[in-house]
Amino acid sequence: MTYYFRRVYINNKYSLLSSTKYNPIVKDNVDKSMHNYYLNQKTIELAESKYQEYSIQGLLLKSGLVSKNIDLLISGDLQNQILASTLASSKVNIPTLGIYSACATFVEGLCIGSMFLENNKGKIIVTTSSHNLVSEKQFRFPVEYGSIKKRVNTCTATGSVSALLTNKKSNIRIESATIGKVVQTNHMDANDMGSAMAPSCAEVIYKHLYETNRDASYYDLILTGDLGEFGLKITLEYLRRKYKMSFNNVIDSGSIFYKDENIYAGGSGPICLPLVLFDYIIPLKKYKKILIVATGSLHSPLSSNLKIPMPGISHAISLEVDY
Amino acid sequence: MFLKQFLHYIYKLVKNNNGEIMDNNEYDKLVKSIVKSENPIKNILIAFISGGVMGVIGEMITRISLNYFEITKSDAYFITFAILVFVASLLTGLGFFDKLLSIFKCGLIVPSTGFANTMTSSAMDTRSEGFIKGIGASIFKLTGSIILYGVIFGLIFGLIRGVLL
Repeated sequence: MTYYFRRVYINNKYSLLSSTKYNPIVKDNVDKSMHNYYLNQKTIELAESKYQEYSIQGLLLKSGLVSKNIDLLISGDLQNQILASTLASSKVNIPTLGIYSACATFVEGLCIGSMFLENNKGKIIVTTSSHNLVSEKQFRFPVEYGSIKKRVNTCTATGSVSALLTNKKSNIRIESATIGKVVQTNHMDANDMGSAMAPSCAEVIYKHLYETNRDASYYDLILTGDLGEFGLKITLEYLRRKYKMSFNNVIDSGSIFYKDENIYAGGSGPICLPLVLFDYIIPLKKYKKILIVATGSLHSPLSSNLKIPMPGISHAISLEVDY
Repeated sequence: MFLKQFLHYIYKLVKNNNGEIMDNNEYDKLVKSIVKSENPIKNILIAFISGGVMGVIGEMITRISLNYFEITKSDAYFITFAILVFVASLLTGLGFFDKLLSIFKCGLIVPSTGFANTMTSSAMDTRSEGFIKGIGASIFKLTGSIILYGVIFGLIFGLIRGVLL
């Protein structure tokens, strides 16, 4: 289902990049960049919640607001029972909705926030965070365990991104949103998340273009989430085979995230797409109509052990940017 | 405007998509054609050499301890095992072992160094959750299966050896 919005704008953003390993492409443009996995906290889980707290407070400071001006905080992360978001929101004193759709969390937050703002007046903060070591521990193996990485593995980005949504006019307008379905194939390999997410990504791109009656060339850029280099190829091939559509304006934020040549297929994590969008694509001042398609793989260690094929989900949002 | 919407409606009716995804087998083929499985020969060669080197090191420690201390051969093997596990655990704690492993591959996983790495890394990960529910509960999270099936198959093969040979 595609929803259209008339008066929803992204007014401001704050991005915090906490790991500069492998030289991320957004390093020079983010609001704050550092290389610190602990932030003086006892554990990495608490450090992630601190990232989120810093990014919310940084956004409030940057846009000259205080926490009582904000009507709603929508937040999510990759930890068990979204612990980092819960802890961060307990510090900032704003009414909170916690959401989870793995790496599509940020765009899901934008969808919910836009629907809220279309019919109400208000200010909403959408925030998300991810931590490389936490997700290694959560989804893969212990941090210091020497598992052999495959070429399809992705490396989770570390940091936090917050965005302020209001009705006040600004240069980034949210035009429409398409909410995707959970798609499950036979794919089982938890190392290769790109192949699990690719069908849902292709389906939501097709569905968005079909429901809005647009061509692929309507958009200057289609920015997908964290498919990785193989996932992007699979998505394009899927669209070509099933729907006979070909695209030449698709960029995957996961594949371009790390500048250094490394052993991975790219970056991942819920902050990957918003970081690339806000701190690489928009500063380029090149693309006016952007379709962002966030992709998430909804597997868990339990589902992998139970031999359940990996479900994938994607949400698309169409942005109109004025420079 | 109205005409455009009407045409779009007709277009939707004609080109109806009921949201079925690609056939699973077809999708598997598509994935296989793009995600090429990596060539294992290089890794096997590296593991062959590094595993051999590990074996030589272990044998050296055994010989040295046999020569310098007056102990039996089984005690010398025990000392070798202890030294290898200690060094691997120490390197894991200092954060070097996973980097070494990405270079030397299975040559370091298959010997007791891999076992030590797995155990130490699980313990380090859960240190923050406390000594009982953290380290105590999770130290054998990954290595528990090695111990369990090691004991079971040890018993089975011991029996076979005792009865048949």
